[in-house]
Amino acid sequence: MKGIFQWFAISALAISVVGCSQPAGSAKANEPAGSTAKELKGDLEVVAFKGGYGLDQYEKAGKEFGEKHPDLKVKVTGDPRVWLQLRPRLVAGTPPDLMFPGWDMDVWALIEEGQLKPLDEALDQPAANGKGTWRESFDPNVLKLGQKDGKTYLLPYYVMTYGWWFDPGVFTKNGWTAPKTYAELLTLCEKIKAKGIAPITYQGQYPYYMIEGMLLPWAASIGGMEAVNDAQNLVPGAWKSDALLKAATMIDELNKKGYLQAGAVGMSHTESQTQFVNGKAAMIPCGSWLPSEMKEVTPPTAKMQFFLPPVVDGGKGDPSTMLIGVEPWMIPNDAKNPEAGIELFRYMTSLPKAKEFVETKNTLMAIKGSDEMKLPEVLVPQSAALKAAKTVWSNQFRSWYKAAEKDIEGALTSMLNGELTPQQFVDRCEAAAEKTRKDSSIPKYKVS
Amino acid sequence: MKGFIRGFFLVLAVLPLVWVLYSSLKPGVDILGSPWSFPTSFRWQNYGKAWTEAGIGSAFGNSLIVTIGTLAILMPISAMAAYVLARYKFHGNRLIFTAFLGGMMFPHFLIIVPLFLLLRDWHSLDTLHGLILVYVAYSLSFTIFVLSGFFESLPDELAQAAMLDGCSDAATFWRVMLPLAKPGLLVTAIFDAIGLWNEYSLALVLLPGADHRTLPLGIANLTMTQQYQADWGALFAGLVISMAPVMAVYWIFKDRIYEAMLAGSIK
Amino acid sequence: MKRTGFIVGFLAPAVLIYLALVLVPLGQALIFSAYQWRGVSAKRKFVGADNFRELAGDHDFLRSVTNNLWLLVGAGVVIIAVSLVVAHLTAAPGKSAKLLRGFSLVPQMVSLVAVAVLWQFIFNPEGLLNATLRGVGLSSWTRTWLGDSHFALAGVGVAFAWYAVGFYALLFGAGLRNIPAEVNEAAELDGSQGWHRFAQITWPMLWSVKRTAITYLVINVMNTFALVFLMTRGGPDRASDTMLTYLYEQAFVNSKFGYATAVAVGNFAVAMILSLAILFFLRRDPTSSQNRSEA
Repeated sequence: MKGIFQWFAISALAISVVGCSQPAGSAKANEPAGSTAKELKGDLEVVAFKGGYGLDQYEKAGKEFGEKHPDLKVKVTGDPRVWLQLRPRLVAGTPPDLMFPGWDMDVWALIEEGQLKPLDEALDQPAANGKGTWRESFDPNVLKLGQKDGKTYLLPYYVMTYGWWFDPGVFTKNGWTAPKTYAELLTLCEKIKAKGIAPITYQGQYPYYMIEGMLLPWAASIGGMEAVNDAQNLVPGAWKSDALLKAATMIDELNKKGYLQAGAVGMSHTESQTQFVNGKAAMIPCGSWLPSEMKEVTPPTAKMQFFLPPVVDGGKGDPSTMLIGVEPWMIPNDAKNPEAGIELFRYMTSLPKAKEFVETKNTLMAIKGSDEMKLPEVLVPQSAALKAAKTVWSNQFRSWYKAAEKDIEGALTSMLNGELTPQQFVDRCEAAAEKTRKDSSIPKYKVS
Repeated sequence: MKGFIRGFFLVLAVLPLVWVLYSSLKPGVDILGSPWSFPTSFRWQNYGKAWTEAGIGSAFGNSLIVTIGTLAILMPISAMAAYVLARYKFHGNRLIFTAFLGGMMFPHFLIIVPLFLLLRDWHSLDTLHGLILVYVAYSLSFTIFVLSGFFESLPDELAQAAMLDGCSDAATFWRVMLPLAKPGLLVTAIFDAIGLWNEYSLALVLLPGADHRTLPLGIANLTMTQQYQADWGALFAGLVISMAPVMAVYWIFKDRIYEAMLAGSIK
Repeated sequence: MKRTGFIVGFLAPAVLIYLALVLVPLGQALIFSAYQWRGVSAKRKFVGADNFRELAGDHDFLRSVTNNLWLLVGAGVVIIAVSLVVAHLTAAPGKSAKLLRGFSLVPQMVSLVAVAVLWQFIFNPEGLLNATLRGVGLSSWTRTWLGDSHFALAGVGVAFAWYAVGFYALLFGAGLRNIPAEVNEAAELDGSQGWHRFAQITWPMLWSVKRTAITYLVINVMNTFALVFLMTRGGPDRASDTMLTYLYEQAFVNSKFGYATAVAVGNFAVAMILSLAILFFLRRDPTSSQNRSEA
């Protein structure tokens, strides 16, 4: 059955390319060819996470796509907590056709339970612009994050980069420079503290910011990617390796020296970020969404600039290593109109649409070439870092092993509260990993 | 001396709420920045923002629909059941009564998952009518318990007189006994309403979407949604909006509530 | 026959709704606890008593149980004590008593969500409490209250106590009103006052209200969820985790619905055991042994 459809789709595509078909009046020079050819009809329901980037771009794409396919009725809806709505629909077997469930949906459980459609066939078909396959249009480092056993279930859209932020205006005024190494960081923090500003603040209520901003990047810097990969792969002893212990000690050192803002351990993300934009703290670890998340409350004189976490001098790791993250899109197996969902997403990930998203939302995208343009100022350092990065990785552990992640986060909070030594902290991390290793009901994955 | 101590407790009970009230008129930054300060100008936009942008307005409407809808079903069927259980002897009376009573004993969380699935099977998840049905079911225990106490205390002679006049059991209930139990019905309804208005846990799980949020969910969402956690002003305005109707009802009926609680509490 | 029809007809709506939405799910809940189920699809796996075995050795669960017990003892004692004081203060006639009586129930009228938000704010590092401490020169006492593992649970307890006192004050007030006037007069004549009168006479005579109050308190504290969830989410590092926040985590974060139901059953068991223990210990009316009454 599937085979017939594929054959039909390919022949329809072939006919359209050979035949007439650019619709009259399509003004844009890089209008993707062949996207009008497929016969899509019926309803297409898209449900998306409504976060810092809103829904408008998806709605616009849906509308444009609907215009190209007059027999198709496209509906795009979303919510800040959309995963709560989607869960019962998935259980009931009535999910939407294309979904972006957001950061709190257990997508790996969905894969395990066979709720998601493998998309390799669709990926091997031509990209929206007809040049090369759809698969080739994605950055391979990012695409591989959505695969299990070689099958692709999750597709990336925007790419989040993780690093630290500082205010270049404030730094220049004081003659400071963003630290490249940990040694520089220590000296800088002392100077900042003397000025009565908290050197570093952080999102204490959400310890994963610290894990992704300090702990794991530092472990990677000290012990190379193997240290982090082993930890993510649940290799016994990996979570209390020398690299991880040293990284934890560094965080503890910052804490003991008073370089971490007092009270940050209890702050939410918006609270600590507000401290940063109001100049009460000089640096903060955060992902690329920081500027748009804090848009409403950033004073007009404040500026923010991205930089990679300072590396450890003499460490084994590649200093250009960069941490990224994706919030994937997917097609449920029970979708009523999966082909339409796939085609809409193919359209959304076409180069012009991707570039449009970069421009309007100030975020990098997973589509190759989408950053070849005059980037918004805030994206320049991120794009440069990503281009220069010889090693790119993602903290998939957090999505794979939620129970262990919670233990590790709790232990980090306790260490930041001064209740655990770094050694005790890594011991707890290792214990959490061991518990997960032993639990046969938790599926195990390997970093690709 | 005692007056001072009373004043102390009064302030303790009321001050936080008074503080919420005047803080709701300050810009969010000031609430965190200078918590005790009185607003210099009244920022009514906080209320507008809470009502429209944060969805408190629609949450208010949903809570209204749910509360009134639940009471409309709950009161009649509870009164009927309580009347029969209180005044008629029959096999199974004790059993049914104890079963209803038992419902007050266990936490809603115990059955949250089966309930979730049940509503899903009835295609009533994320619907107001689904929530209303659940609320009715879970308010039955308390309502029947209290109403049966009231019905038990009504004098027999009136019922007997009505029956002698040729009224059926049902007619006696509707025409004679129910009107007599009005104070009990009123107080139970008010208590139920206050509980329903403020219910959070069940609504959280059974109304997963954004369309049908009730007020407690709307307020909680205000604290959790990224954009608004920095906007304390709108949050506090939302709090005031959600508390206002309950406070109004409470203040009007407080004496009757007090009397009823005294009567019902000594068991 | 007509009467039976009447009885059945009048009972049917309530009973049917109750059966379908309360009793049946209750039965199902007990069944789910014997399965492993992720809650994102319809697939389930029968595991018998494994969930309960795991629960018995689950340190995080056991810790949450101790937290509930700490709340019970800590907040509970404070609530009972304060509400007794308030009950005494409102028992007298007069305007100020009436005013206090009217306002003491006000916290109960506010939803737990509002209470959580309010107190979260008060305990915020930049919030009301710390601002007040700084204002009176006690800056060294400021803390990250809800982020500090020593104070998080207490913070929740304070919020809960503020919320609950009015209700218990009312209960005890009713109990006080029911102490016959002669008893009070006799005590006055005997010269018994203040603490002595309370301990020897008032407190024993409040036994039935005591029993109701403590049982109700136990059930409420064991079932506390909204307040903890919204104020601390059980943190930091499970310092304020309660049975029901743990349940929520298992069901909706870890996707372990079967295990979560087992937690729910565990929670119910703890509450039941405590309630029955209280009903047992306070089963006899201490005053009746002083009066000659039928056994």
